[in-house]
Amino acid sequence: MSETRALVTGSRRRPRRFSPRQIVPWTLLVLAIAVSVLPFYWVLRTALSTNGALAANSASLLPADVNIGSFLRVFGLQSPAEALAEGGSGASINFWIYLRNSAIFATVTTASAVFFSSMAAYAFSRLRWRGRDKVFGLFLATVLVPPIFTALPNFLLVRNLGLLNTMTGLVLPFLFMTPFAIFFMRQFFLSMSREVEEAAMLDGARHWRIFFQIVLPNAAAPLATLALLTFMTQWNEYFWPLLVASDDSTRVLTVGLGVFKSQSPQGAPDWSGLMAATLVSALPVLILFAIFGKRIVNSIGFNGTK
Amino acid sequence: MKKTLGATVLLGASALALTACGGGSGDEEGVVDYWLWDANQLPAYQQCAEDFNASQEDVTVKVTQTGWDDYWSKITNGMAAGTAPDVFTDHLSKYPDFVKTEQLLSLDELDADTSIYNEGLADLWVGQDGSRYGLPKDWDTVALFYNKEMVADAGLTEDDMANLDWNPDDGGSYEKVIARLTVDKNGVRGDEAGFDKDNVAVYGLGLNSSGEGMGQTEWSFLTATLGWTHTDQNPWGTHYNYDQPEFQETFEWWASLADKGYMPPLETTIGASMADNFGAGKNAINTNGSWMIGQYAGYEGIDLGIAPTPVGPSGERASMFNGLADSIWAGAENPEGSLAWVEYLASTACQDVVAGHAVVFPAITSSSELAAQAFAEKGVDVSAFTTHVDDGTTFLFPIAENAAKVVGIMKPASDAVLTGDSPASSFDDANDQVNALFE
Amino acid sequence: MATTTIVVGRARAHRDGGARLRRDRSDFKVALFFIAPAFVGLIAFYVFPTLRGLYLSFTEYSILGSPEWVGTDNYERLFADPLFWNALVVTLQYVFINIVLQTTLALGLALLMHRVARSTFIRGMLLMPYLMANVIAALLWFWMLDYNIGIVNQIIDWLGMPRVAFFGSQEWAIPTQAVINTWRHMGYVALLIFAGLQSIPNTVYEAASLDGANPFQQFSRITLPLLRPVLALVLILTMTGSFQVFDTVAVTTQGGPVNASRVLQYYIWQKAFAEQEFGYGSAIAVILFLILAAVAFIQMRVLRGNESDLA
Repeated sequence: MSETRALVTGSRRRPRRFSPRQIVPWTLLVLAIAVSVLPFYWVLRTALSTNGALAANSASLLPADVNIGSFLRVFGLQSPAEALAEGGSGASINFWIYLRNSAIFATVTTASAVFFSSMAAYAFSRLRWRGRDKVFGLFLATVLVPPIFTALPNFLLVRNLGLLNTMTGLVLPFLFMTPFAIFFMRQFFLSMSREVEEAAMLDGARHWRIFFQIVLPNAAAPLATLALLTFMTQWNEYFWPLLVASDDSTRVLTVGLGVFKSQSPQGAPDWSGLMAATLVSALPVLILFAIFGKRIVNSIGFNGTK
Repeated sequence: MKKTLGATVLLGASALALTACGGGSGDEEGVVDYWLWDANQLPAYQQCAEDFNASQEDVTVKVTQTGWDDYWSKITNGMAAGTAPDVFTDHLSKYPDFVKTEQLLSLDELDADTSIYNEGLADLWVGQDGSRYGLPKDWDTVALFYNKEMVADAGLTEDDMANLDWNPDDGGSYEKVIARLTVDKNGVRGDEAGFDKDNVAVYGLGLNSSGEGMGQTEWSFLTATLGWTHTDQNPWGTHYNYDQPEFQETFEWWASLADKGYMPPLETTIGASMADNFGAGKNAINTNGSWMIGQYAGYEGIDLGIAPTPVGPSGERASMFNGLADSIWAGAENPEGSLAWVEYLASTACQDVVAGHAVVFPAITSSSELAAQAFAEKGVDVSAFTTHVDDGTTFLFPIAENAAKVVGIMKPASDAVLTGDSPASSFDDANDQVNALFE
Repeated sequence: MATTTIVVGRARAHRDGGARLRRDRSDFKVALFFIAPAFVGLIAFYVFPTLRGLYLSFTEYSILGSPEWVGTDNYERLFADPLFWNALVVTLQYVFINIVLQTTLALGLALLMHRVARSTFIRGMLLMPYLMANVIAALLWFWMLDYNIGIVNQIIDWLGMPRVAFFGSQEWAIPTQAVINTWRHMGYVALLIFAGLQSIPNTVYEAASLDGANPFQQFSRITLPLLRPVLALVLILTMTGSFQVFDTVAVTTQGGPVNASRVLQYYIWQKAFAEQEFGYGSAIAVILFLILAAVAFIQMRVLRGNESDLA
């Protein structure tokens, strides 16, 4: 059963011919991909349907009464009357502004949080100081804090600082760190070889320079992974921007596209619009992954000394 | 090192201090913020706002729409933080708690003439302290939406549908029609021999939810024909009546429809809405409110009919009468402007505009007649809804405090009885819990 | 005290986590500088709100009024509240199913990614569910799994089997939520485990197979133990995340049917925001926090996530 052996040992010298032994893992992989990706077909199918026809054609695998009105609604290109006629909500959508705001929000918070978290992770892994592990424990504990505690006080704080409906107020709670980022980077820093660092220290380099010129570049791959995952999480952030950024000028995409959810009690969501909105808002992240993906997914394991 | 520590402490302390003190919401001069949730009504109210803004120079109204799911949390959080809107569409289940926490501005100053509104609506919005907190903007009632094609196939006429009767013992013609419209997978109808209640293709009556204690569109139009009321008095009752036999027998009868296979089991209704199932041809009759007219009329391939609720043992029909109103937040920066806007909203100037859009029935009697006409022009006969107003067969939505907690108790209790997990007598216990809230 | 050292490649292992050459001097000043920004965020946006929440748990508070001190009333009420215990049980059910399912599937996926799927494209496809916001994923599955008009039940019908009320039946409600959550997160978790897999050097496996170890022995004696720090990270995060499930329940079943999906976080929200009993809700949240802290602590101990067998 050498194919299983190859599977668990990760040996890279195996030739990649398609052989009968590969069937089981490949089948499993295909299954996993199908399960992950097929629901997106359903999203596309619903996005291309007309709302009024969805119920009647629930057993069909094809779009019901094909119509791209949903995409027009997402980009704000349909008049309120047309939108209402198609089962949409008629509320206005400034798509490109929301997109810009989401991009700023996600990028700024990701860059900032990842950077500051890496700094903190460095302190928790490479520096020696009293109480280090206790303070790390405190940071870890923040993962456990139920969101109900943080939502209202943070809202009050931002409001008292006069930062409601501003990009500053929007990014504020996320600028400084995320607990996950600190945890994640600490693990990687701990596993890095110390030889180059020690050499640099012998040469008299200070920690700051070591951090920037040696540690960070070496951690490029995990940093990129972390950045991507954080970006995706921030891109999908909904409740905080809903509270803090209600003006059109600061509204983010997730909130703006909330008009496709059910607007009144017992009303139905604008299903085709909602599905179209899902696809469109996932697109930027997909593009990002397409560009940076190779770097992340292929080169995470690095080999110590460069 | 000490500097960084000190800076951190200072920032923390100032954050604490800042949070303690209040602050304004930064409204510009003469702007009144108005919020609503129903996107279908947004065009109408935007028109009203434009007309109002054009008619005078002191106040500019800004309309914002936020969907129901987020609406109330934004308002509550806004009230806590001082950023709530000046005027907003209020709901009968929420406003008692706002009054209790002193978040609403009294409208007594307007000294409004309430005779122009449909009877009973204005009373709903007077608090226990005698002050008025809302002026009615619209009303809704309940009727039977049905699939005309299915009715014709069953050999029934529209006239049959318009003249149903009901009683809690055998269900009257209401149950007979429901049984007739139910078809199992082999094409056997509910009132024919050989009907397989475990394999139903089309249900005679759709199910939305267990009613959660209000039963606005589920069973309240039946219990009212037995003389039953939710509370000892309305508005501002403090004692609920779920232990009375009229309620329990009606609920039992209604739950029996599911046992007989005429109504879907509760567990199959979590997911797509009852209306969507109607649109998919999975049920024949839906008891629902007039706010759903647009949705039912929009289903492709369904020929829609609307019939009034059945006549009960009292000899009359019944329907719960609900209505929205606009309220002013106590912390509004521009109270005079807000009052002027609310007055406009409650006048024919705005309500006629709303009538013309044919989405809801405005509260002013003359405006709602215009709305009925507008609906007719769209091809929808709304007489099933307006008959209750004309004949005086409406009863008010129950206004009481602790609405959310009552629902929190009654929803699981009703679910349990509807699924057969508990007997109807378990409502006695639930009723005790509910009434304990008022002690 | 041993500290984590996952060795990568051919570097030598060190026992001590710090600079060997500066053993006598503490890095306190430098550390402070590095930690400062994160620390500010911690205090302002996490510690302060938590302390405030703790205070509120001893009060009666409706958000719109002012808090009224009631001492331990909320806690006494909590322990006598059947819905609280129901929420605990329901949440534990969810956590158990979710963790078992998610971890095994993610581990399997990571192995597949590591060995079989060479192209970024394929690996990327496994990450696609995470692209959807949690709430959207819940709505999508709510639609697809509907009893009457959902496509999944339609397919079940075509296969001749009885339809399943995924969200409506009390037995299926929680497992369905767990499966949806797994669907969305398994690619994400797999990516994390995959990162850990990449860092296990081949030399160890080669040595083992030279000694005659079979594949399963290699997996259980080498792969799993060396993955332990990563698995610990993953388990702690997924477990705390599972305990805090809310979005999907709020959008689909809202605690029903009856009380079958009334998880802790949802019950807290219901009490605090819907029923205006913020003080009581805070008390339940404090209990939740303590449970999570205990669970995380136990996990760290049992899994010894701070250590690595390579050191």
